[in-house]
Amino acid sequence: MSNKINTIGIPTEEEIKKAQIDFSPRCTSAGRVNDKETQKMVEYILNFARKHSLFVLAYGTGCGAIEIPATMTSRYDAERFGIRGAATPRQADVLLITGYLSTKTLKRVIRVYEQMQDPKYVIAFGSCTINGGMYFDSYNTIKALDRYLPVDVYIAGCMPRPESVIKGFIKLQELIKDGNAGNGECYRDNLDWYRTNQQKIIKNWDFPDKYNW
Amino acid sequence: MTREKETTLYLGPQHPGITGNMMIKLKVRGDIVVSAETHLGYLHRAFEKLIERRNWLQSFTILCRFCVPEPDPIELSYALAVEKLEGRVVPERAKYIRTIVSELARIQSFLLWYGGQSGSGGLYTLGQWSVGDRNYILDLFEDLTGARIYHMFMWPGGVRRDLPEGWMDKAYKTMDYLEKRLDDYNKLLFDNAIFQKRSQGVGIIPKDKALEWGVVGPPLRGTGIKHDVRIDEPYAAYDKIDFEVPTYEGGDVWARSLVRRDEIVQSISIIRQALDNLPGGSYYNRIPNPMKWTVPAGNAWAKTESVRGEIGFYLVSDGSNKPRRAHLRGAAYAHGISVLEKVLPGENIADVSFILNSLGVCPPEIER
Amino acid sequence: MDLINNLKEVFEIEGKIKNDFQIEVEAKKELVSSILLYLKNQHGFIHLNHMSCVDWIEDEIFELVYIVWNPNIRKTVMLHTKIDRNNPEMENIDTIWDQANTYEREFREMFGIEFPGLVAEREFILEGWTEMPPMRRDFDTKKYAEETFATRPGRENAEDVRETIVKRTGEEIPDFAKKYSRD
Repeated sequence: MSNKINTIGIPTEEEIKKAQIDFSPRCTSAGRVNDKETQKMVEYILNFARKHSLFVLAYGTGCGAIEIPATMTSRYDAERFGIRGAATPRQADVLLITGYLSTKTLKRVIRVYEQMQDPKYVIAFGSCTINGGMYFDSYNTIKALDRYLPVDVYIAGCMPRPESVIKGFIKLQELIKDGNAGNGECYRDNLDWYRTNQQKIIKNWDFPDKYNW
Repeated sequence: MTREKETTLYLGPQHPGITGNMMIKLKVRGDIVVSAETHLGYLHRAFEKLIERRNWLQSFTILCRFCVPEPDPIELSYALAVEKLEGRVVPERAKYIRTIVSELARIQSFLLWYGGQSGSGGLYTLGQWSVGDRNYILDLFEDLTGARIYHMFMWPGGVRRDLPEGWMDKAYKTMDYLEKRLDDYNKLLFDNAIFQKRSQGVGIIPKDKALEWGVVGPPLRGTGIKHDVRIDEPYAAYDKIDFEVPTYEGGDVWARSLVRRDEIVQSISIIRQALDNLPGGSYYNRIPNPMKWTVPAGNAWAKTESVRGEIGFYLVSDGSNKPRRAHLRGAAYAHGISVLEKVLPGENIADVSFILNSLGVCPPEIER
Repeated sequence: MDLINNLKEVFEIEGKIKNDFQIEVEAKKELVSSILLYLKNQHGFIHLNHMSCVDWIEDEIFELVYIVWNPNIRKTVMLHTKIDRNNPEMENIDTIWDQANTYEREFREMFGIEFPGLVAEREFILEGWTEMPPMRRDFDTKKYAEETFATRPGRENAEDVRETIVKRTGEEIPDFAKKYSRD
């Protein structure tokens, strides 16, 4: 029963042929657990520290940014989990994509994502990041986020309630504990694939050729 | 004279001090702003093109998302415009319920504004209190409409549901609680010497030019001119309810904050009066076949008053089952671009975020 | 109303009363800026509420609407005018009201109407846009969206989600969910 349900999100052979771009490398889970025992213990302690202090970048990219003040303040207090805001990308761990992204914002979000330092996590809010949502026929919004940026956790809803947001953060904490989150290295390894997708929709491309992180 | 050069600063899309996703390009000399230019387009979704592809009923799902902090006045403007085109009559009970919902939306948006205005000035406690109290109003909305933020409740012909059981008692209790809390906010913010000194004399809009520049809403009432859509062209049940419209002289951030503080008190009294005099009867003038509903040809212009000013909807129909053109005039359309570029030169960099919050600039409304 | 009679004397245009607060007037394109100046200076309609544009592709015209408001007597005047769709050009009223600059920039980008004398950057909302102006009626937005953006497969049509899952995996719809299916 559970095996059958797990196959729904992965596309079938005909769907891959019909899709416009190559599906091949997709950063979903990066396992970084090493063989040696001491390395495993060090990673375990580091992950424990990381998951209890997540700094979220202050960037409201879309509609869903209206439920973030409610999550961070007194009733649904997210600060008891160690989540607080950070002002610049160099100081942040988590990038929250709250809702839809227009192509103009996508260019800035890519720049911000590349400026963040490892290990970095991306949480995608709302149904607009999953399949376009209710703007499925708009000429300015993107339809599926993980073709352009690697995503760790999706939160469904329009918009998600503060309890769902906290549940999403707890799921991210579980992934960090198992060593399965953080796709910065995978992004750098598959940079060509991501760049072809991004350059297809961003028309005025002026990033430097070799971006040195 | 001065040996300081002009530098360009991008108060960019990712900044903790801006209200939404916009960019202001500032040219500064030292600490003083010399010129400002607004850049928008980060939130453009092509709403008006999408509405032309959906029929009159289906466009309700995307209407609320025009303005993110306060979605209700837009539904009401659309409903009023369609009723003007069709000549549809709204029952009395629906008018009172619409008034109650508009005023509740106004209070919750003001409570969110408290957090933004004091946070950009450096006082973070008030945001925690007021956004926490705002959740009580969102609970009322959830009992009535089913959702916290995007309600889709006010349709042409009335409202979608009647008040559930026990809602009126809960509303009375929430109003009593909020009235007590307003004293706390007063003591924390308005008696605070730092806030007074920072906001008096900053971001001045001159009184004789305000209407020409297109200023509407609380910034207009903060210059001493008394205009409000609820008394100029009354809609819903506002002509039967007794309330005042506060105005203050000065045109600076201090006067606008006082206007907003007094409007919360007036909103609470409007809700109490509407709940006391709620008539019986039906709440919806039913549309006979919603999926095949056509509206007679013509055009209509309808305005309502939101937290930021007047929101107007220009609607054109050609007799078919889809709207021909739906054009929203967001209240911050003039505030965000032409007024801001005139008010900012001469101010400190630290005050830019302060003035943005007090003018009430909301980018999703400007670029739809 | 005497405002309508006054306008008829001076400019020879017809007007009619729409309802308690609104008056509707139609004029030719060359007279528009003089009518607006006259209304602003002589009659006190100092507030520009809104400007809008409608694309009537069947008649090959663009219809522009100017909505102005008088704060003393609280009345609105809606001024309609028509311009040619194949060569759209309209006078710039930037000098009368400043916020018209923003409206005209948006029309130039979205509809392709030229305003000679308008001093502003070309790109306002869209960035790097090379297709035709998007708000015109002959721009197909769904086709453009499908060709440009990468979509997620599995929801190409609007079939019921539960029925799609049943077809793929062969499960059965449970009883409690049957009454909510779209039948």
